[in-house]
Amino acid sequence: MKDKLTKEEVLHVAHLARIKVDEEEIEKYQVELKQLLNDVDKIKEVEGYDEERMIAPWQKDTILREDEPGEMLNPKEVLKNAPKHSGNYIEVPIVISESEGA
Amino acid sequence: MSNYIPTIGIEVHCELKTKTKIFSDSINGYGQMANSLTNVIDLGYPGTLPTLNKEVINLAIKAALILNCKIRPVMHFDRKNYFYPDNPKNYQITQAETPIGYDGYVEIEVDGKTKKIGIEEIHIEEDTCKSTHRGTKTLLDFNRAGVPLIEIVTKPCMESGEEAKLYLEKLKELLFYSDVSDCKMEEGSMRADANVSIRKQKSEPFRTKAEIKNIGSISNVKLSIEKEIKRQEEIYDKGESFPPQTRRFDDKLNDTVLMRVKETGNDYRYFPEPDIPYVHITQEQIEQVRKTISMLPDERRKTYQKLGISEVNAKKLVQNRALSDYLNELLEEKIDFKTAANLLLGDISAYLNKMETEITKTSLTKEKFIELTNDISNETLTSKNLKEILTTIMESEKSISEIIKEAGIQNITDNTAITEMIQKILKENQDSVVDYKNGKDRAIKYLMGQVMKESKGSLNPKMAMAILKEELNK
Amino acid sequence: MKYLDKSIEEIHSLLKKKEIKPIDLVEEAFERIEANKELNAYITLNKEEALKKAKKLEEKEIGDNLLFGLPIAVKDNIITKDLKTTCASHILENFIPIYNATVVERIKQNDMVIIGKTNMDEFAMGSSSRTSYFGAPKNPWNKEKISGGSSGGSATTIAARDVLFALGTDTGGSIRQPASYTGIVGMKPTYGRVSRYGLVAFASSLDQIGPMTRNVYENALLLNVLAGPDEKDLTSADKEYEDFTRKIGKDIKGMKIAIPNYFMSDIVTEEIRNEVEKVKKLLEENGATVDYVDMKYLDKAVTLYQIIAMGEASSNLARFDGIRYGYRVDSPKDLDDLYLETRKEGFGKEVKRRIMVGSYLLSGENAKTYYNKALSIRDDMKKEFDKVFENYDLIIGPTTTTTAYDLTDPMDDPSKSFMDDVLVIPVNMAGLPGLSLPIAFGKDKMPIGLHIIGNSFDEATIYQLASYLEKKLNLDLNPRKDDEHV
Repeated sequence: MKDKLTKEEVLHVAHLARIKVDEEEIEKYQVELKQLLNDVDKIKEVEGYDEERMIAPWQKDTILREDEPGEMLNPKEVLKNAPKHSGNYIEVPIVISESEGA
Repeated sequence: MSNYIPTIGIEVHCELKTKTKIFSDSINGYGQMANSLTNVIDLGYPGTLPTLNKEVINLAIKAALILNCKIRPVMHFDRKNYFYPDNPKNYQITQAETPIGYDGYVEIEVDGKTKKIGIEEIHIEEDTCKSTHRGTKTLLDFNRAGVPLIEIVTKPCMESGEEAKLYLEKLKELLFYSDVSDCKMEEGSMRADANVSIRKQKSEPFRTKAEIKNIGSISNVKLSIEKEIKRQEEIYDKGESFPPQTRRFDDKLNDTVLMRVKETGNDYRYFPEPDIPYVHITQEQIEQVRKTISMLPDERRKTYQKLGISEVNAKKLVQNRALSDYLNELLEEKIDFKTAANLLLGDISAYLNKMETEITKTSLTKEKFIELTNDISNETLTSKNLKEILTTIMESEKSISEIIKEAGIQNITDNTAITEMIQKILKENQDSVVDYKNGKDRAIKYLMGQVMKESKGSLNPKMAMAILKEELNK
Repeated sequence: MKYLDKSIEEIHSLLKKKEIKPIDLVEEAFERIEANKELNAYITLNKEEALKKAKKLEEKEIGDNLLFGLPIAVKDNIITKDLKTTCASHILENFIPIYNATVVERIKQNDMVIIGKTNMDEFAMGSSSRTSYFGAPKNPWNKEKISGGSSGGSATTIAARDVLFALGTDTGGSIRQPASYTGIVGMKPTYGRVSRYGLVAFASSLDQIGPMTRNVYENALLLNVLAGPDEKDLTSADKEYEDFTRKIGKDIKGMKIAIPNYFMSDIVTEEIRNEVEKVKKLLEENGATVDYVDMKYLDKAVTLYQIIAMGEASSNLARFDGIRYGYRVDSPKDLDDLYLETRKEGFGKEVKRRIMVGSYLLSGENAKTYYNKALSIRDDMKKEFDKVFENYDLIIGPTTTTTAYDLTDPMDDPSKSFMDDVLVIPVNMAGLPGLSLPIAFGKDKMPIGLHIIGNSFDEATIYQLASYLEKKLNLDLNPRKDDEHV
């Protein structure tokens, strides 16, 4: 088993996580991330994988909410913690690429 | 010339008609002041957790039922992880693994034949926030964040833009009539993506597909698919190929344009949403929802035609939900439905259009409408007279008979008065009376014309004719 | 003025007789916090508001509420409206929330006074509170030692007797382990017992808020306030109010207790094992049965924890992007730069490492190999606990494998912080309640904790055993020399 991730692997996860890494950090992560991945690889030794999964330990029926409106924030409160805003809007640098999602 | 077989699959995102959002109790609304319909949950504030709107589940069950889908008895939600400014938590809560509905179909009529469009799945998810691009910045409005959506995915089973159009029209009609969604494409409450690929033969595996995203109208779906098919044909005919890609329809160019070439597939890192435990759907709940489904368009059209309404008028009525609903409340009544349909689509529609109002907002109660339909069908009220009193009918609380009386139309339906008038006309037109007795058919038409002229058209023609004949035969 | 060293009944009686006012308690708490400043237990103090609130309480009827007017410290990953909530992170350094966590609402309804926000590991990721952006808290028993983590600040302020009550959070031992290291009582309730609404999520399926106190009775009293269903949290259990003190003082004769062999294996120091053995004897002498049992999966708990916790964390912490709240890098050149730089600068090393590993564990096919499999094994592990509880009332063992170690111990081993919690993590995996009770001191004069694990929603029996032992052992758990204080 190699004891380091490749540089590309580190860059891939850093991209997924949207965390910038510089050259020096990449080297560190190559080792540290690999160590953690070796830890979690122990799960492969555990037998038994079925469809029964615990998505929340206290499994009961989800109690559904009635469709009745509650209190809302006013736009001022919405903007209060936003580092950048303009008018009633929260502002970000221009989005060029299209949304990946729905 | 084209000898390719296109394969088309459609994905529709449809906003559900609820009062509140899917995971929070802020209002699900459109066209309000920016960031005025939000709370900390919609904004993805640290520490907030989702709750689940009951009506969302009910509407999704309803959609599954009307699209003939199977409904999953136990389901959960999943997180779809991706960074984007319109995605407040940078993950979207959706259903990747256990869509609420699956394996359904919708029937469309293609060239007079019924075709089943297979529905792969229906899943529930949350909408993103709205972004507007201004110069070097993008502005975010979170009012739409968390609005409930269902995504309806067809099997790759359509073969033309026309079929896609027919499918979408049908889908829209169904979702609209079952009150699942407003289906307003212009407001974005219904959005369609089309997956298009072509191949030479059905035995051949599918070739590369292009996805056309976020098409803003049904006619553009058809158009963009047709353009896309042509584009792919031209590429293959040149012996070339193209990479899987995402395209969009450009209104101005009237064609699809490349958005991006798909990479090895997006890495959304799906996993079960730990903040929402399993959701169980009981048969009882499904049956309860089923009861709330009002008569669907196909059945409405069929019912109307059975009641004697013409095919054209049946279709027209179903195109106008408010009139169709109004008529549906009268289906048990013993009235002449042909007349009722004519009234609704004719004078009443004209009035409603002119006044820019809805039928339920007028004073035309069901009782009044029944009385009116009867008066017209047994011709105690002529259409000319109706035109005179229509505004009063629509706006006053009085009954039809009262309105007729007040308008002075009543007298003319009085037999004695009519008889006297006819006798007078016969006296003045002795020549015609003689012609009639000699068997000249035209004479009675002339005499009838005189009668109607004298009465200024306010007579019931059937009744007048009967009296006229009676007098002539004396 | 040393009211805060009195028993809660005495304080209550003084307040009731109007011999003291809530403000006396609040002022005393701030004096103590000031005197213990070097312990670095707090990130933010709520002095002005706390004094105002105490003053206001003077107009209020005290009734029979034993917690009336008492100061409480809140871990800084629990959202407090208008009071800075940092999660010990640079990315939330100046974040002032606009709503309250459900537990905060409950504390306020019960007329307790929030004194400040306690120090912790950044986003609760760590086991020594040394990943805090604001520096680590120090152990009141020895300032060279860690207080444990991630609820290190809350443990510190209770151990130092600044206040009687604190809230901690426990994802993989973060209440019980620091409680053990600092000689206090810390309870992680059953998952779902206390609402998580307003707890900044680290690992949603594991996180739970719980009480940290100087003794067992006060712990149960605080849980009485915190527990209960909350419609804002779908994972909160539909269990109505119960009095968690109701079994305190009851005899333990006939009680059946299990000790899993794994908990007493050589991963634990001999000294600690011996102390647990002593407890075992004491219990047996007093009519309880204590058996060693074998349990599957316990040795896999850390692996499951790493997968589930890091996976969920990578998603939960995605929202910190500098757009709607929190730190944002100055003039990013584009959107990508905004994300990348904000998160690079905003998060500390440990947090970034975990987010990156978590992202990897969920990416592509890995979600199946790791996360989904972990959930499945987790289900099996819960069933393994269920089996034990068919025959036993409680499970016990040591809380930690060692006593608190030095603040200067190296931090560069990424696996180390997980291994510190090897004995407490299985409880989070199974969603069970667990409590750490001080039972002895080591040769290094540092406290040793006993871990008591109960069946789901059976916190009351844990308190029964804990208070029984507390009384029997009768340890002096106040590290404060009298002359150090006013």
